[in-house]
Amino acid sequence: MNFDFTEDQHEIKRTARELLAKRSGIEQIREAAEGEAYDESLFTELRELGWTGIAIDEQYGGAGLGVVELMILSEELGYALAASPFLPNALGGLMIAHAGSDEQREKWLPGIASGEATATVAFASDGTAEVVPDADGAAVIVLIDGEDATLIARDDAQVEPLATIDPTRRYARVTASGGEPLPGDVAGALARAEVALSAEMVGIAQRTQEMGIEYAKERKQFDTPIGAFQAISHRCAQMLFDTEGARSATYFGGWAADADESQLAFAAAIAKAAASEAALSVTASSIQVHGGIGFTWEADVHWFFKRAQLDAAMLGGTGKQRARVTQLTAASLATAGGA
Amino acid sequence: MDLTFNESESAFRDELRAWIKANHPGDEPAGEDEGYAFRRDWQRQLYEAGWAAVHWPSEFGGRDATLVEAAIFNEELARARAPFPANVLGLLLAGPTLMIWGTDEQKQRYLDPIMSGDEIWCQGFSEPEAGSDLASLKSKAVRDGDDWLITGQKVWTSGAQYSKWCMFVARTDFDAPKHKGLTYFILDMEQEGVEIRPLRQITGDPEFNELFLENARVPNANVLGGEGNGWTVALTTLMNERAGLAFGLQVGMTVALDELTEELAASGKLDDPMIADELGALRIKCEILRLTAYRGLTATMKYGQPGPEGSLTKWMWSQGNQELMQFATKALGPQALTGSSTWGRAMLRSRGNSIEGGTTEVLKNIIAERVLGLPRKK
Ligand SMILES: Cc1cc2nc3c(=O)[nH]c(=O)nc-3n(C[C@H](O)[C@H](O)[C@H](O)COP(=O)(O)OP(=O)(O)OC[C@H]3O[C@@H](n4cnc5c(N)ncnc54)[C@H](O)[C@@H]3O)c2cc1C
Repeated sequence: MNFDFTEDQHEIKRTARELLAKRSGIEQIREAAEGEAYDESLFTELRELGWTGIAIDEQYGGAGLGVVELMILSEELGYALAASPFLPNALGGLMIAHAGSDEQREKWLPGIASGEATATVAFASDGTAEVVPDADGAAVIVLIDGEDATLIARDDAQVEPLATIDPTRRYARVTASGGEPLPGDVAGALARAEVALSAEMVGIAQRTQEMGIEYAKERKQFDTPIGAFQAISHRCAQMLFDTEGARSATYFGGWAADADESQLAFAAAIAKAAASEAALSVTASSIQVHGGIGFTWEADVHWFFKRAQLDAAMLGGTGKQRARVTQLTAASLATAGGA
Repeated sequence: MDLTFNESESAFRDELRAWIKANHPGDEPAGEDEGYAFRRDWQRQLYEAGWAAVHWPSEFGGRDATLVEAAIFNEELARARAPFPANVLGLLLAGPTLMIWGTDEQKQRYLDPIMSGDEIWCQGFSEPEAGSDLASLKSKAVRDGDDWLITGQKVWTSGAQYSKWCMFVARTDFDAPKHKGLTYFILDMEQEGVEIRPLRQITGDPEFNELFLENARVPNANVLGGEGNGWTVALTTLMNERAGLAFGLQVGMTVALDELTEELAASGKLDDPMIADELGALRIKCEILRLTAYRGLTATMKYGQPGPEGSLTKWMWSQGNQELMQFATKALGPQALTGSSTWGRAMLRSRGNSIEGGTTEVLKNIIAERVLGLPRKK
């Protein structure tokens, strides 16, 4: 039993934190969000560092590392709220790598790994996906409908860019008919994608928790730092509670994805539910700690709050995950009891 | 990361599992005293087979078990629905405190009977006027030759009625600042100066008591950790309480949740999406508690202390367990509140979870100040 990263993994985390502190500071987040455009040079840098291919096999030009390493990067990119199509591309990559045919992998994974021909993924119903992250710039789109997933080349889809409440990421409505089915383990691939997405939300929660605590130490009212008032300090403790809980669940998901497939469905459901709830509650709570300034465009908490809203809704909300957790445990108890 | 048990951990688990299977004492009998006697016999059985205090060093009769193995011990016991040993406070609080602060003589004298359950221990910290603000306690100890004479009152003392010894904190210096004037005593409960009055809890059971002391006598040799050092020694006990108990309790919550899931499935109620949703939410909390407890263990083993997550488990457990019990009685319907069901009583007992061992509010204060570094209110 060892619930900690390896030295190499810690090193990835440190490197990512340092790089993104320089390359994706609040100024850059704001500029990208207000300009409604990504920082192209940032994505180029991430590509050159090999981040885009981190969890893709070496035979397709990736680094051949696992979901754990991808999760570490995703958490840090969430922490930095980096303006780039990194995550949707990685999620699409997981879908094709784990549910695609050999041909589909050969065709798409090299572009995804290098970041030159990106992917994305979304839930769809009857060929329409209402809100798809980074679909417009993608080369390939994976649409999941129930237990099936289909792969659609960007040019075969109708992509209508959308304005959402989250200006830190580009979204679009996608309509497509046909497409190629992904013949492999769609559920397993989706579970991996859920874990990587959860990690971004853990990063968002961590960052806004820190912003709130920092402000609570500085801001004075009644001649007292507001962090000395229990209504505020207990709220901050609650942020730690939510963030750390989501982190425990997400890291479990990353480990299960790489090491124990039998627990993956369960772990991914817990991770997605816990990380969504934490990202929603911690970002909201941090706005409250900031008072009036927290409600302004100038204070930067809102970018995180907005991203959290879209992330939490992506690939199915908490209700779906809870139902799945109950279904999975009831089934495993029934098997254990019957045996 | 490796969330499986390694070879020696698995071997430990298999050996223990086989032993529990062969020696399981069956269901605990009804009634507070009967249950207690049953758990005391069980502890004797564990002791004789060398399982009573796995986490203790072998020089004191333990197994030198790692923190993970100690966690496995709790998990296996709970999973087999075997009772916990009677002398919980002795094993989890008094023993570790004695190992850190005790003299060689004290360790020789007290540790073995704690393990065997021959001598039960209770914790005499809280007083009517000193609960969360423990350091303001007023029980008074004055020197009388080689002895101390203690006068005062304690409250909520769990298991005092069965105890030979009490971890007793009293004020020995009334002029010193409140944290400095305290001394930690090993008090013999079997003497005239100690009167125990049972207090009925909301469950109806007298699990805890009031203690009235009138010139109770304690030899100076029974001071633990030195005169005036009582606050620091008491903190050792409290840290063990919050860290040590959480693990076993976490498993208790999993077992209760499994039982509830089975009952709801059997009655067809799991098909109700509202019930499935709430049950899923509880399962997620329960798993998060388990995972966070393991994260804390890894951090303690690797870095000597838990990270920020370590302070959260007692809070996670008390909140999760209370929500679980409340949900159980709601979902199962009014028959869960009748005498024929154990859920009603368990629900009542769970209300104590966020009070015992430090209230949730106090834990939040500690997290805010010590983990998050927020300023303290002036
Ligand atoms: C089942 C059970 C078993 C117990 N067993 C033992 C035992 O064996 N030995 C023993 O010594 N004690 C025992 N206790 C006592 C327990 O440790 C105390 O009840 C607890 O520390 C709270 O103290 P109090 O009851 O005086 O409440 P108070 O301290 O008076 O608290 C009342 C309320 O005020 C809040 N409050 C107090 N201070 C603050 C603050 N600074 N900030 C915010 N809120 C605050 C509390 O959170 C609580 O909600 C037991 C309690 C229970 C319920």
